[in-house]
Amino acid sequence: MPHDELERILRDTLQREVAESAPRLEGLEERILSDLGERRPRLGLVEWLGQLLAPTRGGRVGQFAIVGATAAAFLLIGLFISGDLLDRVSPPQFELAPAVASGAAPMADEDSVSGDQQVLFVVPAPLNAKTVVVVGDFNHWEETALTDDDHDGIWTATIPLAPGRYEYGFLIDGRWWGEDPRADEHVQSFGEYSSVRYVGRGGDGA
Amino acid sequence: MYRVQDEVSLLRASLDGDTGAWGEMISRYKDAVFGLCLGFLRNRADAEDVAHDAFIRAYVNLRRFHLDKRFSTWLFTIAANLCRNRLRYRKNHPVAELPDQIKGGSDPAGDVAREDRQTKVREALGRLPYGYRAPLVLRFYNDLAYQEIAGILSIPEGTVKTRIHRGKAMLKQLMEEGA
Amino acid sequence: MRRRVVASLGLSLATLLIIGLVGMAQIPLAEFEGPLHEIPVANPDRYLRAIDIGLGQPDFPAEELLRLLERLVTHAAPSPEKEAVLLPIVAALEEGLPIEGLVNKAFEGLARRIPLPDVEHGLHQRFVLLGEVRDLLYSKGIFSVAPGAPQSSPSAIPTPRFNQLLINIADAIGDHLEGGGSPFDGHVLFQMVRERLIMLEGVTLPPEDVELVLERLEPSDLTDAALAAVS
Repeated sequence: MPHDELERILRDTLQREVAESAPRLEGLEERILSDLGERRPRLGLVEWLGQLLAPTRGGRVGQFAIVGATAAAFLLIGLFISGDLLDRVSPPQFELAPAVASGAAPMADEDSVSGDQQVLFVVPAPLNAKTVVVVGDFNHWEETALTDDDHDGIWTATIPLAPGRYEYGFLIDGRWWGEDPRADEHVQSFGEYSSVRYVGRGGDGA
Repeated sequence: MYRVQDEVSLLRASLDGDTGAWGEMISRYKDAVFGLCLGFLRNRADAEDVAHDAFIRAYVNLRRFHLDKRFSTWLFTIAANLCRNRLRYRKNHPVAELPDQIKGGSDPAGDVAREDRQTKVREALGRLPYGYRAPLVLRFYNDLAYQEIAGILSIPEGTVKTRIHRGKAMLKQLMEEGA
Repeated sequence: MRRRVVASLGLSLATLLIIGLVGMAQIPLAEFEGPLHEIPVANPDRYLRAIDIGLGQPDFPAEELLRLLERLVTHAAPSPEKEAVLLPIVAALEEGLPIEGLVNKAFEGLARRIPLPDVEHGLHQRFVLLGEVRDLLYSKGIFSVAPGAPQSSPSAIPTPRFNQLLINIADAIGDHLEGGGSPFDGHVLFQMVRERLIMLEGVTLPPEDVELVLERLEPSDLTDAALAAVS
């Protein structure tokens, strides 16, 4: 059977199956709308925050925002100063990226050199998954959350990583998943696969 | 098929709580979503459940959908993920005989030869591994481009092409075996 | 109102500056005492002595080790199991071996809820490999020297660089064995080591170090090291 004939039959068959199910689909709209009942589309985070920070709500929240921002600024200054002191004490001998394990968790990585790359982690997870986290060498195997903002089942996180080799895996609602198809290689660790990525200098992370 | 602007208006109205607008969106997409689910799951009751859920999920999360993106892709992605969920659940909770399983079709009034081939296709589809079946359904039922299929199934475009090519070959082989 | 705001800003400023400065300083040995007593380990002095040795090394992962100890404190397993996990790390410290890879592996085991005896087994294997590979490198004339000390020969490498080579080679062998690979697959082992070193060449490993190692190591060498780890 030539391929285009197979395609035609496949199309016909699939369409027929749906047509045969028409009685079933009758009134689907009503059933769905009645299930939705009083529900409205969920308010997104941005709208919620917008309402929170609206001027009519008064100065209190605005004050918190100012204090928080100032504190963050001073923290950065403090870290910058102390980082500078350390450099004078122990000059590096070879221009290497920080050794893998001593790379602090991304959020607190005040040592981050300009060579950090933004590395994308992607997990297609079941839609009723509550949490998807990545654990690996880059975060002491402590959990960094992935998010699925548009709720299409694809969870992502972008993590700045200094060049090096990183072993990692995902916990989907606490269950280990170590076979990331986007990994550069897989190794066996404690009886199951875990994933490995190499992040290079500049360029594409390979 | 539908003018995009028209769809955007319906979505905006849905966001404002206009259930009639959302009902119209369901009508427009229910065959496409149900057909996707039926193709993936090969079981009518499951397909109906999942299609139902997909529309509920889409509505509840509508605010997170970026109106300048393609709605169908987003909706199909939700449906595809729910289908994969359902199959994982089935794997852990095997049932002796699935109700409403798509067996060879019965079409008393139709052409015998055609019916025979359609029967074979249906059965072969059921035996095709999910990873090959899903791209075939998205391509030959939903008529999607490779790039869209790649996005929905979260696999590279090259893989989509390979799977479709091999999927067709496997289908043929399964049909010949069933002869 | 205004005065209160200024005062609280001043306080946050001071606190955060201090946190920033302290966070960057080397962790004092005393910090480790608390967690060691809380786990508890049978002989905290031994651990403290070993950690003290480590603190003298420029590439010692002090913060990571402390974090590991803290994680063990809250772990539900009985304390002998927890202590068993620490033993390969202590032994490595006592022998002057780098513990970065061991600490990583321990974190992984905890994150994945692996039973602690299995974690200990994995760590023990890696510890043995570290020792074997170091001996191997020495036998090939590749030595480590304290950073800043004069390099007596081109094949004497500052300790932090030497340690990175050591960790990567030992880890590659360990991965092979953990995957069920045979220690007798010398060529496979060599291939794995080679690939790993080349992927990191110019990234975290200086090219001249990688070339040196690949020049002098042979598949049979790796088999010997692997055999020691599974015996």
